[in-house]
Amino acid sequence: MTDRLENMALVMPGLLLLGLAFILPVLQMLVLSVSGPDGFTLEHFTRFLSDSYYLGILWRTVRLSALITLITALIGFPLAYIMAKSGPRLRLWLTLIVILPLMTSVVIRTFGWIVLLGRSGMIPSMLRDLGLVGRSFSIIQTESAIVIGMVQVLLPFMTLSVLGVVMSIDGRLEEAARTMGCSFMKTIRTVVLPLSLPGIVAGGLLVFTLSASSFVTPSLLGGSRIQVLAGSIYNAVTQTLEWEFAAAQAVILFVGVALVLVPYLSVAGRRNG
Amino acid sequence: MVSGTPIWARYFAVIFIVCTALFLLAPLFVVMGVSVSESQFISFPPQGFTLHWYEKVLSSDAYVSAAWTSLWIALTVTIAASLIGGAAAIALNRRSLPASGLMSAALLSPLVLPTIIYAIGMLLLWSAIFGPISPLALAIGHTVIALPYVVRTCLAVLADTDPFLEEAARTMGAGRLQRLAFVVLPQIKPGLLAGGFFAFNISFDEAVLSLFLRKPGLTTLPVQIYGQLEFSPDPSVAAVSTMMIGLTIVLLIIIDRTLGLGKIASV
Amino acid sequence: MSEINLSDIHKSFGKVEVIPGVSFSVERGEFVSLLGPSGCGKTTLLRIVAGLETVSSGRVDIAGTDVTHLPPEKRDIAMMFQSYALLPHLSVAENVRFPLRMRGIGSRDEQNERVKTALDTVQLSHLGDRRARQLSGGQQQRVALARAIVSRPKVLLLDEPLSNLDARLREDMQVELIEIHKNLGLTTLFVTHDQEEALSLSDRIILIKGGRIEQEGTPAHIYAQPSTSFASQFLGSANMLSAVVEDTGSGPMAVLGDGQRLPLALDEAARGAVSLALRQEDLVLSDASDANDGGGLKAKVRARVYLGARNRYVLELAGASLRILTGNDQLFARGDDVSLTIAHERIRVLAP
Repeated sequence: MTDRLENMALVMPGLLLLGLAFILPVLQMLVLSVSGPDGFTLEHFTRFLSDSYYLGILWRTVRLSALITLITALIGFPLAYIMAKSGPRLRLWLTLIVILPLMTSVVIRTFGWIVLLGRSGMIPSMLRDLGLVGRSFSIIQTESAIVIGMVQVLLPFMTLSVLGVVMSIDGRLEEAARTMGCSFMKTIRTVVLPLSLPGIVAGGLLVFTLSASSFVTPSLLGGSRIQVLAGSIYNAVTQTLEWEFAAAQAVILFVGVALVLVPYLSVAGRRNG
Repeated sequence: MVSGTPIWARYFAVIFIVCTALFLLAPLFVVMGVSVSESQFISFPPQGFTLHWYEKVLSSDAYVSAAWTSLWIALTVTIAASLIGGAAAIALNRRSLPASGLMSAALLSPLVLPTIIYAIGMLLLWSAIFGPISPLALAIGHTVIALPYVVRTCLAVLADTDPFLEEAARTMGAGRLQRLAFVVLPQIKPGLLAGGFFAFNISFDEAVLSLFLRKPGLTTLPVQIYGQLEFSPDPSVAAVSTMMIGLTIVLLIIIDRTLGLGKIASV
Repeated sequence: MSEINLSDIHKSFGKVEVIPGVSFSVERGEFVSLLGPSGCGKTTLLRIVAGLETVSSGRVDIAGTDVTHLPPEKRDIAMMFQSYALLPHLSVAENVRFPLRMRGIGSRDEQNERVKTALDTVQLSHLGDRRARQLSGGQQQRVALARAIVSRPKVLLLDEPLSNLDARLREDMQVELIEIHKNLGLTTLFVTHDQEEALSLSDRIILIKGGRIEQEGTPAHIYAQPSTSFASQFLGSANMLSAVVEDTGSGPMAVLGDGQRLPLALDEAARGAVSLALRQEDLVLSDASDANDGGGLKAKVRARVYLGARNRYVLELAGASLRILTGNDQLFARGDDVSLTIAHERIRVLAP
């Protein structure tokens, strides 16, 4: 019985912190999103869902997040596969290359992209000098800039998620497939890819969630005209000071994330038993 | 590579790796380059070489005070998250608690919820109860975000240890506190160290929560940089960013020494 | 007097009762094995003696003291774990010192002396400064043994400590265990699922099945005279044949399912339906065509497995399959008709 007491004492601070400083704030936000001057109201939600400006923001957020997820998967899977098949030394270096940006502040990485993609930045100047684009060409403050920056920010998450799964695939399966007449590409397609799918799906959900909820990179690279949902929340909190409206938008984001994550978590949880 | 990998695939792999590495590291290289440029404006490639912008950062009150704020909060978060998360991981690893699965899911849940949702909730709750934001609010918020990382690294380290160590220690006469001090703590130490450095890194680099929970006089480095970027910055913002990148590299090396980078990748 | 005494131990995990009332004792200086298949409750019993499991009811005494409610750290015991449970952050010598430190036995110098003696006993004194994880499996095993004997406990508990070793090392360790046990006069309770290990090490074997004691006795007794079909199958993997015992003019006779008859010892008392336990090595195989022995059972060879020094045959007899071990002097092929004989006194007649 005292063993249980000891364990409860060890886990209690964590649970208390979580209950008071995590669950309670989220609940507070949920409550505020339906509060008006006269008590319960859904006006903040109807305001968002009936205004084509906000619906456009929502659609852009979903569209960009999907595109970013797709691109990170297209780069992340081959990257993780090559990492898994490299020798331990090379793999360590590649891991470092993936983790270093991951552990660098998003603000700093976005700053780097501002320099590279800016009006007189290196990449647009190069493209102009090569004559590939016109004089007035610009990347910054377009959706392309957001996608480029976000892919770089989120690629490590996808790569590490896929890497974990690819590393656990028994290499003999590929050898077996080759002895049964599969070409290299066919082996990737029929053996490696299906077995990596759990990692790709998990990474994809993570990337989608993070990209739908980030505002630092989109607002710095996209500017004020190309607004995404999280940026709109940030504006409502800091510029217009409409906290209830911000809470309502956060709830909409929350519901969207839950719609994506909950089915996955319950399936994955059941599979892990 | 598996033998029998076609030659074109090997070439593709090399080119692909080089391009991806460039893509991932480009923003960092650019920031480092700008920080030593003699130009008054932010430009890349850098022109000349100067450490002038570093001097400017170190003599700027705004940057130095932001750095102190960040440092204090990060240290507080490191200690709090390590203590709370390490203790929880020890208890969860013993698997004797009722609903320990539910508890570990709860402790890891801040990983899943987007930070912006949590940030706005924290802002609303703190303002409703305590009024103006204080450094404590930010430290608590960062601790919540960093906690899952500590719990996860500690659980991963503990999972690799012999589950019978504590029982063996009991049969050798070790009491409750002796077991924690002489058996459990030495086992969990690498996880605690790595988790602690993660917590420091997360708090020191975190921008979202810090942007929501800010008030005049309470500005962390990432918030300070963000503020500069919204206007037209000079290369000193690159110098301070480069210093932060340097700190991240130091932390990475320490984490590699304590736990191993390969291990982190799989946590 | 008995060093360990368990009386009417009951243990349930949730609704499942794994130990439905067990009593046994171990005398001072005795080496007793708890033998049984995995999941039979033998490890639970050992852990109850150690105090690592609480009992649902019953009483545990060690050296005449009731320890039922004492935690393991307060009991005068040492235990060797299947995984060895060496502390990876400590050196070999520090591992061996650990129980002395925890129990506060002796001064620093006395502790050093005892650690050295214990490491000498297991011939590892030259490796005292190594880390535990730098040692081979066999060496780790010895460290665990040294750690178990260093505090000179009243009771030594061994939880399948040899099962992770390969065959050669295991034989060496068995000899070493017996020597240490005798030299130190330890009271030892040993858990194993390996019948040969139990037979070669123990003064006494307690055979456990389904949380109950199936049979107990000296190795020779329990091997020669298993009292149940489980005991005879688990110890020596005997063949079991159903039969009916009838009285005839020449004494009791077992009638097999296909009508063949097998004479039993004259003093055999059982009558009616029985199970016959026939050991693999007790059955003698001969060619059925030169059946000059007359009394042999007729059987058919189904398969032969060549084992080097010996052969194992699988025979078909009265609808059952029998396994027997023979030498290489006469070989039979699949499908051959053979004749089986067995000495009367080697046949165990058990309840069906």
